[in-house]
Amino acid sequence: MNFNLSDDNLALRDAAADFLTNEIDLAPLLVPGSTADAIDRESLWAKVAGLGWPALAVPESAGGLGMSLLDLVMVVGEIGRTVAPVALLGTLAGTWAITAAGSDEQRDRLLGPVAAGQCRLALAAADATGFHGAIPSVRATPSADGYILEGESHFVVDAPEADRIVCIAVLDGERRAFVVDADAAGLAVEQVDWRDITRKVAIVRFSATPAERLEGGWDAAWPDVRDRLYLYLAAESAAGSHAVLDEAVEYAKQRRAFGKPIGQFQAIKHQLAEIAGQVELADVGVQYAAWALDNRDPRASLAAAMAQAYASDTYRNATHRNIQVFGAIGFTWEMKNHLFYKRARCNAALLGESAHQHEEVVAMLEAEAA
Amino acid sequence: MDFTLPAEDDPRRIEIRSFFEDHPGASYAQLAERGYTAPNWPAPWGISADPETMIVLEQEYARAGIAHPMTFNLIAINQCGQSLLKWGTDDQRKELLPPALRCEARWCMLFSEPSGGSDLAGLRTTARREGDEYVVNGQKIWNSSANIASHGVLLARTDSTAPKHKGLTQFVIDMKTPGVTVRPIVDMSGEESEYCEVFLDEVRIPVSRRLGEEGDGWRITLEQLQTERQSMTKPGAIWGGGPTARELLDGLIATGRIKDPVIRGEAGRLYVEGEMLRLMSARHLSNKINGRPAGPEGSFGKMIASPHGQAISDLAKRSQGPAGMIRNPDVLPLPDKHFGRFSNWDYAYWFAPAGTLGVGTQEILKNAVSERILGLPREDDPDIKLPFDRTRRAAA
Repeated sequence: MNFNLSDDNLALRDAAADFLTNEIDLAPLLVPGSTADAIDRESLWAKVAGLGWPALAVPESAGGLGMSLLDLVMVVGEIGRTVAPVALLGTLAGTWAITAAGSDEQRDRLLGPVAAGQCRLALAAADATGFHGAIPSVRATPSADGYILEGESHFVVDAPEADRIVCIAVLDGERRAFVVDADAAGLAVEQVDWRDITRKVAIVRFSATPAERLEGGWDAAWPDVRDRLYLYLAAESAAGSHAVLDEAVEYAKQRRAFGKPIGQFQAIKHQLAEIAGQVELADVGVQYAAWALDNRDPRASLAAAMAQAYASDTYRNATHRNIQVFGAIGFTWEMKNHLFYKRARCNAALLGESAHQHEEVVAMLEAEAA
Repeated sequence: MDFTLPAEDDPRRIEIRSFFEDHPGASYAQLAERGYTAPNWPAPWGISADPETMIVLEQEYARAGIAHPMTFNLIAINQCGQSLLKWGTDDQRKELLPPALRCEARWCMLFSEPSGGSDLAGLRTTARREGDEYVVNGQKIWNSSANIASHGVLLARTDSTAPKHKGLTQFVIDMKTPGVTVRPIVDMSGEESEYCEVFLDEVRIPVSRRLGEEGDGWRITLEQLQTERQSMTKPGAIWGGGPTARELLDGLIATGRIKDPVIRGEAGRLYVEGEMLRLMSARHLSNKINGRPAGPEGSFGKMIASPHGQAISDLAKRSQGPAGMIRNPDVLPLPDKHFGRFSNWDYAYWFAPAGTLGVGTQEILKNAVSERILGLPREDDPDIKLPFDRTRRAAA
């Protein structure tokens, strides 16, 4: 047992931190009323691709880096710390889906361009209620040279910029995964007014859209993908919580009222102390989940659900406390506090609120006890 | 990074397990002799155990059904004994540590005073030097196990002209010394008394029982309190010990009460919080045994672990409905009996308010976290630089 990050882990984190600190300029998003389109996302993506980040999760056999999840959360954490508008989540989600459900041939053919930075992905797996479970609202039927899809998927992260979309659809009463080209006939991607303007989220509509079926079943693949998505969101949330804590602490040292720094009042400092404790726990929870998934530990799914539940609660709480400590100025669009606040809530909602993960945890424990 | 615990066939585990199997019902003298009482200490006291061996030992104690010596002599083994390794003399170590580790000599702490629990450094018990002795006068309170302790670790003021933190000194006293009077306090749980008040009237202590030099008392005390808090970062119901959310869930599942949707959601949340605490506690243990001093980050754990412990015993109790308001030890099944006196949820529940009072109140802990870890400005304390005898507290 060893609870410390390795020098390699830390070097990776520091490199990501340096890059994002230099490259990310949130100012365009802080113009009142701005949308996700206010940022030059294309040139930012080109730089990210140049660093090889799209290849991080692609298996080595497909030309990727096949990096461990513990290494990956070093990078993802920095995206969370800086609320960077880097569209990595969709590509990672698609990569994990193809890795879990594709044949060896499909994996190598579809992920090779991803690793090379030439193909961005998105995963369309939710219905209009946000539910990722039983029956998706998209139907697949065989066609002469493959399959066609009908229906719509919701809350598809990074779809507007994706070159290919992995879509979950029902085929003969069974959930299966399909791959659709962004320029395919009958495909419409409608960007929604997602409150976290560091991300682009869309409804994806399919109308007689040609698609390639991934060979493996989705029921078997989804738990692996879900666990990794939980880990991604939790890593962003834990590091984002740390960032808003640090900023609130700095502000509380500077801002004076009644003749002293507000950080000297217990009403302020006690809130920050509680957040500091939660941030520490969220951080260790993320590292444990990454390790458990990397090592296929029997409790890996449990660890991932726990990390997401704890980190999302912490992030929601920390971002609210952060605005409270800043006072009314923290409530304005010109300040970046709301970018964190909104990402915290959007991250918590995407795969279901913490209460859903708590339910998953209890169900897993019941199964263990049975 | 590697979270794997030593497996069943790990040689360290095999060695420990075979000791327990060869010595069923091993005595605390045997355990001390073996170095299993304070395993992280160096020889001849312990076995310089690494963090994994520490955890394996805890598991094997539980497996053998033997309450950990810490359960009986926590103050000597965990909080204060280590101070003798660093601050004590050879004679002190030879005289005091072996009986403490064998759990024959049980220790208590004599720190808090009436009207001054949180402001510990403002204490008013004095120790004045007379030749080869100190003469102690004052009153202490909230002293765990003082009624059964043979030794007390006393914090007293040796210099009233120094600022309050500077004039303090520690001693290890015999509780049988003339002038020491112990009175148990009946706490609200109504179970066996944990706390006492201790009156010190012209108590004569040999200079040889002074720990460190005059004026070292506050530094030594802070180290002990940090070590104590660090040991309380585990996810148990009381003081980090006792049943955890794992046992809570086991019990709720075994009784079918987990099916109640009101209980279920809360149980899931508490389980997650408990597991996070378990991980952090293991991370701290790893730091500690790897030679890093007990730092202020120990406060993190206790700050969250104490309310967590209160919440899990609360849910255990509430799952019983009104039947829980009748004194009863069978709140939820708790097959493992290695949790010492907190081996039932009923006791843990009615004892729970102590969790955010002892070892510094929750509010003092939050001050410590925000000041020492986050670097926020300190509370105003008009007395902090004054000679103690000129402070309002000395006059009160």
